[in-house]
Amino acid sequence: MHFIESWFGNPLWRKELRQRMRSGRTVLAMSLYLFVIGTVAFVFMYVNVQGQTLLLQPTRTAELFMFLSYLQLAMISFVTPGIAAGAISGERERQTLAVLLTTPLSPASIIVAKFISSISFLLLLIVMTLPLYSIVFLFGGVVPSQVLAVFGLQSLTLGTIASVSVFWSTWLRKTGWSTVLSYATVAMVFLGSAILGYFLDDLANHSPDQGIITWVSGLCYSMNPIYMQASLEATLGFITPAFHQPAVASVFSIVTTHDLSSSISWLFFLVVYGFGSVILLVTSIWRLRPGGWIVLKKRVIKWLLR
Amino acid sequence: MIRTENLCKRYGKFEAVHDLNLDVRPGTVFGFIGENGAGKTTTLSILATLMLPTSGRAFIGSAEVTSEPATVRRLIGYMPDVFGVYDDLTVREYLGFYGTAYEVPSTVMEARIQELLQMVNLDERADAYVNALSRGMQQRLGLARCLMHDPPVLILDEPASGLDPRSRIEMREIIKGLRGQGKTILISSHILPELADMCDEIGIIKRGELVACASVEVVTARANGQRQMCLEVLENGDSLAEWVNRHPLVTDIVASNEQKVELLFAGDDLDQADFIRQLLHEGYLLTSFHEVGGSLEELFLHLTKEEHRLDQETAAAKQKI
Repeated sequence: MHFIESWFGNPLWRKELRQRMRSGRTVLAMSLYLFVIGTVAFVFMYVNVQGQTLLLQPTRTAELFMFLSYLQLAMISFVTPGIAAGAISGERERQTLAVLLTTPLSPASIIVAKFISSISFLLLLIVMTLPLYSIVFLFGGVVPSQVLAVFGLQSLTLGTIASVSVFWSTWLRKTGWSTVLSYATVAMVFLGSAILGYFLDDLANHSPDQGIITWVSGLCYSMNPIYMQASLEATLGFITPAFHQPAVASVFSIVTTHDLSSSISWLFFLVVYGFGSVILLVTSIWRLRPGGWIVLKKRVIKWLLR
Repeated sequence: MIRTENLCKRYGKFEAVHDLNLDVRPGTVFGFIGENGAGKTTTLSILATLMLPTSGRAFIGSAEVTSEPATVRRLIGYMPDVFGVYDDLTVREYLGFYGTAYEVPSTVMEARIQELLQMVNLDERADAYVNALSRGMQQRLGLARCLMHDPPVLILDEPASGLDPRSRIEMREIIKGLRGQGKTILISSHILPELADMCDEIGIIKRGELVACASVEVVTARANGQRQMCLEVLENGDSLAEWVNRHPLVTDIVASNEQKVELLFAGDDLDQADFIRQLLHEGYLLTSFHEVGGSLEELFLHLTKEEHRLDQETAAAKQKI
């Protein structure tokens, strides 16, 4: 109970939320996002039913769900670094960090408050779209547990991207550089893992160690939220007409070939994203602690020499 | 209340602070003077737990800054030389945020904010956004922020820098008021006459070393038409102290021991010559006589003159190259 009170009572988090929600840009961003997602959903439905609601089939609804969820994943990937990359460097640039560090707020509580306030807004954007998803429920084809599974994956992806951004923001003095490196890291994970996986697959075809290389390429794909979301949707039985389109089919084909729905792939994804986020946040806390990095280096050297 | 023991801070080969020994007594306002880059801000940052010293120790009360930073943070209110504010908060929200961060009980929070806003003359702007305040007002708000948790120690780094004369006077009056409340204040400033007005003691730092440290009376005595003189005798220093204390032109005894007496003398050169003649006539075996002190600015210029000359020579040499 005390833990919950202490976190909800974290003054920095409350201040951040107050500042963010007070801004006119926030209201505009939320309205714009809802408008875009809503328009996409309604246009999609209109094109499919052509004015006759009864024509909407559950498979089509599942397709709409897939489309919306990928749109949401893209939004998370693009917006999160923009919001979280200024978490600490922004305080440094505003010259408010020194004062903050002389308060009893520990570096851990500062980093966690910044992290939570960064993801809170994006989680709010995701939650805001739930009424649109309820349209999907209305026509069938998708059940709430499937939506929750996809939201869970997206929340973990969001948390990891936010922790990457907070990490860069703590290490770099300028928000500009921290934003660039955050986007670069996200691009490396999304594109790099896919390209590396594709390259390894190609290599495996001409190698005697095909099994090992294919296994490694499977791990590469497992690090990519696009493929993992596809694996989730494949597991949940979304066999829709979109599945047969070339681009979508290639994603689902990789999911099937490498068995990304397997518990090994999911374990790898959860470990990399979960532990990765924790490691990045802990490193950021050390970095923020005055002289913390020097202390950490000394301890590592001492440990190595032991 | 504030103490450093052989404090050192190095950045690579550059030594910003070298063997600094400070001792600021409780309830004292201590002025910290030095040129840009002398090591003032580094020292204050170490005391504020923002930086680790390379060697040596620093204490606030009995808490050591590197091993007990959490305790130190509750004991100090720190105002850096340049600091930002959260523009999109109101003055009341800004102080409320720091009050919560310092765990000020919610039952007394509002009263505390009101009291501080009245103290810094911002009570009428309590609901204004911070970005609507002038620089001077923001600086006063920063001081109020330092006081939210009612700390016994204040560390103020150039609190009046960049302020117009009126704001500087207001800031000075507030700090004088805090001195009246018994706070221990360590303040750095470039505006030396103001420091002389506010401080009980002065420390001058030059290239990371404390080169002078004395009460303001001592260093400003000469500026007030008095001279601080140091007499050294072979013996009978105590009776000499009694004798000089009875002299009509001696206004105060600053320090005395068996062989040395430091005094404040309110006379001109002729009076001084007559004073020495009387002293010798009384039979004291005088071994040394010299003047010490001067106005704060004179003392500061004197102590930093050599450094300034070296800097100019270096700059000239660089230009030639």
